[in-house]
Amino acid sequence: AAKNGAGCSNSCLFQRHGFNFHSHPNSADVISTVEFSQSGEFLATGDKGGRVVIFQREPQGEYNVYSTFQSHDPEFDYLKSLEIEEKINKIRWLPQLHSALFLLTTNDKTIKLWKVSERDKQPEGYNLKDEEGRVKDISKITSLQVPVLRPMDLLVEASPRRVFSNAHAYHINSISINSDCETYLSADDLRINLWNLSITDRSFNIVDLKPDNMEDLTEVITVAEFHPHHCHLLAFSSSTGTTRLCDMRSRALCDQHAKLFEEAVDPASRSFFSELISSVSDVKFSHSGRYLLTRDYLSAKVWDLNMEKKPVETYQVHDYLRSKLCTLYESDCIFDKFECAWNGTDSVIMTGAYNNFFRMFDRASRRDVTLEASREVCKRRAVLRPRRVCIGRKRRESDICVDSLDFRKKVLHTAWHPTDNIIAIAARNNLYIFQDRHSPSGHHGVHRIEQETAPQLEDTPPQ
Amino acid sequence: MEYKVEAHRIMSISLGKIYNSRVQRGGIKLHKNLLVSLVLRSARQVYLSDYYAGVCLNAQHIEAKEWELMDADREKLIPASERHVGAEDGRASRLQEKDGDSLDPSDVAVTSPVSPAISETQCGSSDCETDADAAVTEGDSRQPPKDHACSHRKRSAEETGVSETPVKRTKVTPNAIVANNEIEEGEEMDTSNVSNLITIFGSGFSGLLSKDSAKSESETDDSDSGSGQICCEQMLKNLNPWTTAIVAF
Repeated sequence: AAKNGAGCSNSCLFQRHGFNFHSHPNSADVISTVEFSQSGEFLATGDKGGRVVIFQREPQGEYNVYSTFQSHDPEFDYLKSLEIEEKINKIRWLPQLHSALFLLTTNDKTIKLWKVSERDKQPEGYNLKDEEGRVKDISKITSLQVPVLRPMDLLVEASPRRVFSNAHAYHINSISINSDCETYLSADDLRINLWNLSITDRSFNIVDLKPDNMEDLTEVITVAEFHPHHCHLLAFSSSTGTTRLCDMRSRALCDQHAKLFEEAVDPASRSFFSELISSVSDVKFSHSGRYLLTRDYLSAKVWDLNMEKKPVETYQVHDYLRSKLCTLYESDCIFDKFECAWNGTDSVIMTGAYNNFFRMFDRASRRDVTLEASREVCKRRAVLRPRRVCIGRKRRESDICVDSLDFRKKVLHTAWHPTDNIIAIAARNNLYIFQDRHSPSGHHGVHRIEQETAPQLEDTPPQ
Repeated sequence: MEYKVEAHRIMSISLGKIYNSRVQRGGIKLHKNLLVSLVLRSARQVYLSDYYAGVCLNAQHIEAKEWELMDADREKLIPASERHVGAEDGRASRLQEKDGDSLDPSDVAVTSPVSPAISETQCGSSDCETDADAAVTEGDSRQPPKDHACSHRKRSAEETGVSETPVKRTKVTPNAIVANNEIEEGEEMDTSNVSNLITIFGSGFSGLLSKDSAKSESETDDSDSGSGQICCEQMLKNLNPWTTAIVAF
């Protein structure tokens, strides 16, 4: 228990809750986004089929399915003869004010605000309709009664409260809720729009990278995010490897950046794919708001907002792939967009890799660990063993050679609980939730209820 | 020469990806296509620079000067150059199809003209002497000067000495090389086909997206995208060696 890999303050040892959605993987079940709620009590996943699954944390510490709903359906744009995918690109939670949950979900074109609420009472004793809802014959009604609320089985309902559509000509890649909790941004390849959560028929364009002549296109927006505390600041990254910080106070259209974070590329290391691998696939502000974490194909970088010239820390995620870029280009793997995450105290960063590996880097000690999210490897409640990728020959039995890596198994989406050492890892159609055995939060220690079988999605009601 | 093979391979892979992206569900992904076009451009740069270095050794220093000239007066030269480079020599022709017959060794395949200076330097080496000074100007009618300027603006970010003229692809086929090797001929054909396809894409990013009306909001050059599309379709039909590459993807 004492072995320290990631150097998380307590321990790097994690246990597993495996949720296998379907025994026969279907591409519609591929998880496309994972997000903890702001308190961490809930966890939402979106998949390629447009479905959203919400998990709730039980008092014992385990996450169980709370609600499932179809968020987006496939659409067809008749004007452009284009099919619009129903895949959920991003989910963002609003802070929870009362019992109902609110979250934003988006596909390529449309953003929706969902309300998820519990119902445990229903009205009975209507005057005009009977118990089945059929309208009564008015002439047969002889007396009036007041309907009363009676308890019923808990029902969790999801309803779309707002639909924000027709604002993006290109594919939406990000949504981010402002710290004011009234506005949010949505970003596509070329534009970022600002919305009010209550108003669906208009939005303000705040960034526009579209050149007058599309032939001059040199970069696209890859990710955008609001600062966690300053409601006027937002960051967006681009395919050229730059990240910009924009201040909405200085001008209405934030094409001019307040800060530009870019590291000069070593000309000696240039290859056909240099530009490609510098494209930023994820940007996350630290919880403190002081740092930015960016992920490009081979590395993760921590930037201090006060220093634009270069990152304060660079972590090589899988540099052994540098010599294999051509093969990865052929297989399209080089276009994989890995996300990254901060832990609650901003002391550890996490990101995914191939072979269902994910990596954690402790910023202070500079120690790192590679773990694997896989059914074969993880037995329930087992402690994860650190893995190692070797370039040459194996030195240890547990090592794996670069050439043996399975590039079809990729951990693109990862999320870290806002305060506790709980992480959610999406590996294709499986969601893995790992909890730190020695976490001080007290919610999970030795007194955990064993789960016999992994809950199937449709069958498990909220417990 | 390994670089050339590698670059060629990457170009063919890239073109295959672009082709496939048109039939992908969800519409063309702008980000991915932009990245692929960047790789294509890099590979093309290397391919062409390598070619020049390999074939016309004597002309190198002359070329370098010309490149500098080009660099300095890019914008001014382009419209003029397109007009100056006429069909100086009838021997030059663009290779459109692989017909399997042996090529006329002295054929010069040029897909688009760039500047009179450049085409002259092509024939600096003794091997090239017998070849045409000419540049074929078939590309002329298809490529308004605007494209050239656009390509240059696009590439201003990365300038190397040799790669100043993105749309230029002049290939000189020395007698010796072609006579020996049919596979070599095949490659020559492939390259010209690549070059033709590259011409379309070299005419600007919109060349890639001409089929997608979502991107054509600002397309001012309908003729270009139209011709690009036609050319692309022609090429795609006629590409024997290419169908393998494309089908593979």
